[in-house]
Amino acid sequence: MRRRFDTATVIVAVPFLAFVGLFLFLPVIGLAIKAFTPGGSFGFSAMQRAIEGSYRTAFINSLALAATSAILGGLLGLLLALSLRSLQRPKWLRSTVDSWSAVAAQLGGIPLAFAFIAAIGTQGVITKVLGLAGFDLPDSGFSLSEFWGLVLVYLYFQIPLMFLVMMPAVGGLKNTWAEAASIMGASPGRYWRSVALPLLVPSFLGGLLLLFVNSFAAYATAYVLNPGAQIVPLQIRFLLQGNVITGEQDLAYAIVLWTISLLLASLLLIAILQRRTAKWAAT
Amino acid sequence: MKVLRTIFLILLGLYFFVPLLAMARFAFQSVPVVLLTPEKLLEGWSISGLIEVFGNPEFQRATIVSLQLMVLAIVLTLVLLLPLAALVEIRAPQLRTLMTAITLLPWVVPPVALVVGVAATFRNTVPWFLASPYSLVPFYVLWALPFSYRALDAGLRSIGARTLYEAARVMGASTFTIIVRVLVPNMIGAIIAASVLTAALVLGEFAFAALLLKETLPTFMAEFQRSEPRAGMALALAVMLLTALIIGIGVRALRKRGMDLQAAGV
Repeated sequence: MRRRFDTATVIVAVPFLAFVGLFLFLPVIGLAIKAFTPGGSFGFSAMQRAIEGSYRTAFINSLALAATSAILGGLLGLLLALSLRSLQRPKWLRSTVDSWSAVAAQLGGIPLAFAFIAAIGTQGVITKVLGLAGFDLPDSGFSLSEFWGLVLVYLYFQIPLMFLVMMPAVGGLKNTWAEAASIMGASPGRYWRSVALPLLVPSFLGGLLLLFVNSFAAYATAYVLNPGAQIVPLQIRFLLQGNVITGEQDLAYAIVLWTISLLLASLLLIAILQRRTAKWAAT
Repeated sequence: MKVLRTIFLILLGLYFFVPLLAMARFAFQSVPVVLLTPEKLLEGWSISGLIEVFGNPEFQRATIVSLQLMVLAIVLTLVLLLPLAALVEIRAPQLRTLMTAITLLPWVVPPVALVVGVAATFRNTVPWFLASPYSLVPFYVLWALPFSYRALDAGLRSIGARTLYEAARVMGASTFTIIVRVLVPNMIGAIIAASVLTAALVLGEFAFAALLLKETLPTFMAEFQRSEPRAGMALALAVMLLTALIIGIGVRALRKRGMDLQAAGV
């Protein structure tokens, strides 16, 4: 069957598609071609080298960082949404957390890194207070420029982001359902397992993906905290700025192509999982 | 259970609040941490560092560039997306899945990745394009897409755009008239949400601008803090508060209309 679109839709769709094609697809296709033609002829050597040695380490570190901050941020964000759901009393609390989350979810980047340096950097106030209390933070092995330091900073925007994603789903849980379940003899555990959880899982998975992509791609915060960190975004910077060495550019194209493929694969994976769980919730 | 919840909420509150407090102290109190004792807590506070930054010509240039990028990105977002989102909703709902998929794609190509592709394609073919800081605008619009399109789409659905369209149509209005005189006035909330999210992105984006060597507010901030730690910290705090203020205005405007600022979902 041939679908026909009216002229007005075509007139506004064409500029948009041209826009996306020019500024998103063209650069991506351009770099994909270059990644597969290192030194001018077709070959897989750049793609191969991009996941070897220190670059492999960077990919593993970035994946670990993204996964850890997504899971921790996801669980804490969900917990925050759940603990506010049944909270009635201080009325201002709920709307404050709502607004604050909308703000904090966007507060990545340079200023956030500065804030944490001022708090728990080697010269930070909290570091000082802890030192006075007899706990030497720098000596304990914790550092803002290391893995757990980055996770701690990333959580600052990850938790609110998950809260924003989960709020509609958590708000959709009706108290009457819990009552109905308990009247029919279900334990609270059973209610969570059979009713609440299946309803929350699709949003939670979507949120996890959002958080994962968010921290995998985070550049500015890591750049301030540790410009030499072995993570993918900073490796790309290194290659891009040191492009006087011939052949290194091909490597940058290959690393970026791997990154895009990885993020795209996680997007598809979550979409499939969501569809599955949506069916599970429906049965 | 209740005690645990209270402890959890307090700890989380401290986690979010203390870094900002520490930042403010570093920015506005000229007492080094090493010399800080409980008695000196109230000494040496001043905002002169921040005032001095405002007079810095480089700062002024970077701020003007960022503000221009912000306005241009918002205008381009609305021009490109608003009529399209409206027509998809009222005339071609079968395109909605496609639009959702396309507007999600910028997500998997983060700034630090796309900059490599842009350098590979545009630098050789149209080098003049990347010379101007305004070349950042289309890319900022692109990364805001997952949020801005969803905000507009949610707005259209919440006002029942198709019913409004059909009612206006029956009364003889043209499509253009319907969009401009019926849908847009009803969608102020969604338009504000899309604009606010785009603005926050422009004020925070660092990777793309830095790697293309453009002087925007975030890149200036990173550079400036190295030479002027205290004033740099004050500036970062000011930018953070400005971003918070912009988003706060958006949230208020939405709440008045019974909506929420939602994150992009899959």
